[in-house]
Amino acid sequence: MEPLQRVKAASQALGKLAAHSAAAGGSGAASGLGAAAGEKLDLVILLRLREQIKQQLMEYNTTVHAGEESIPDQAIEEKLIEAATEDLEREMEQVKVSFQNKTLVLQRIQLLDALRTKLRHNDGDSKLILETIKHIIMLSTAILESQQQARELEEKLNEIKKRRFALKQAGEHKLLQIHTLKKKQKEELEGMEVGEMLKRICGNLQKETQMTMLIQNIFQSIIIGSKVNWAEDPVLKAIVLQLEKNVTCI
Amino acid sequence: MSLVKPFDKLPTLNSAAILLVGTDESQQQQLAEAILKEKKIFKINIHVATSLPLPAERDHIRPRIDLIVFMINMQSKHSLRNVEASLSHMDANFFLGKVCFLITGVGRMNHCSVEMNAVRKLGNLYCSPVLFCELESEGIRVATAQRLLRMLQICAGHVPGVSALFFSSLMKSSIDE
Repeated sequence: MEPLQRVKAASQALGKLAAHSAAAGGSGAASGLGAAAGEKLDLVILLRLREQIKQQLMEYNTTVHAGEESIPDQAIEEKLIEAATEDLEREMEQVKVSFQNKTLVLQRIQLLDALRTKLRHNDGDSKLILETIKHIIMLSTAILESQQQARELEEKLNEIKKRRFALKQAGEHKLLQIHTLKKKQKEELEGMEVGEMLKRICGNLQKETQMTMLIQNIFQSIIIGSKVNWAEDPVLKAIVLQLEKNVTCI
Repeated sequence: MSLVKPFDKLPTLNSAAILLVGTDESQQQQLAEAILKEKKIFKINIHVATSLPLPAERDHIRPRIDLIVFMINMQSKHSLRNVEASLSHMDANFFLGKVCFLITGVGRMNHCSVEMNAVRKLGNLYCSPVLFCELESEGIRVATAQRLLRMLQICAGHVPGVSALFFSSLMKSSIDE
């Protein structure tokens, strides 16, 4: 790929040079027409050079590709061989493991057989062996029992934990309910209080208006009952007329 | 002593180089002048040599050679032997269309010392086109120069879409079919 990059770099540099020379040639022309024709020619030259460079690049490309071509058969063979080697390695691992297992089993069998023959002799050693075996059995049963007890205790512990958790959740739920209820109550109370205030204000207002009306009526009746000519006196006239206006119409 | 390789160097913009290999220097001069007289839009470098391999001292100033023309004179066996000796000093990649055999002196067939069969066999062996010409005659000289110029254009990659590998069509003759 190096020669290709060199070709690209060189062609770029040459293209710049050509463009410079073309520009210089174009700017050197005297008349406007001459300049335009010169520019057109330069464009043609540049296009032709571009085609040239393209063709040359293609030729170099082909040579490079021809050089680095790999035989497809070989590649396929290589892949097959790789796959085969992987399979074989795996098989070898498996065989090794099984062989080791078998040797272990064989050794254990041999050991047991030796023990059995020893026991059959029935001498001091065999008594010792028997005692150790009985001790081993006793210990193993003890271990099994304690393991089982441990398991049961763990289960009980788990149950208790579960119940505690459930209770906790129920408690949270109830608290939430209480909270919402309290909130609702508060809101209602506030609403009611405002209504209460309004009602009280209304009642007060009504009482006041009734009282003023009463007083007005009393005044009117006093003035009329006193048989005074209230039309003459402007002050009295104003008062009576004012009293006519019903308080409720304000 | 350096091996001439076709894709060793980078091409120069809008120019091409042709190498004429042959023993007869006057003929080479004639052909070179005829080629230079032709109307062309790119620069031409004409290199002349008597035999390959080319001297190694001037390798770095030499441009990329696009076409090698081996000139064989029908009247002298020495030229044929010289060409055959030079052919062994060339890179195999050249024979993909960048080599051409030019047989001169075919105007005087009765004075030939080189047989036509030998020349045709040479062309077949090296998978390169064989051109016949008579450089003494003006018209044929101009025609050969034009042919070589066109071949040089194609070999240098100046003609888009046409590659030097197409010259194998020049080698097939209708008799062979």
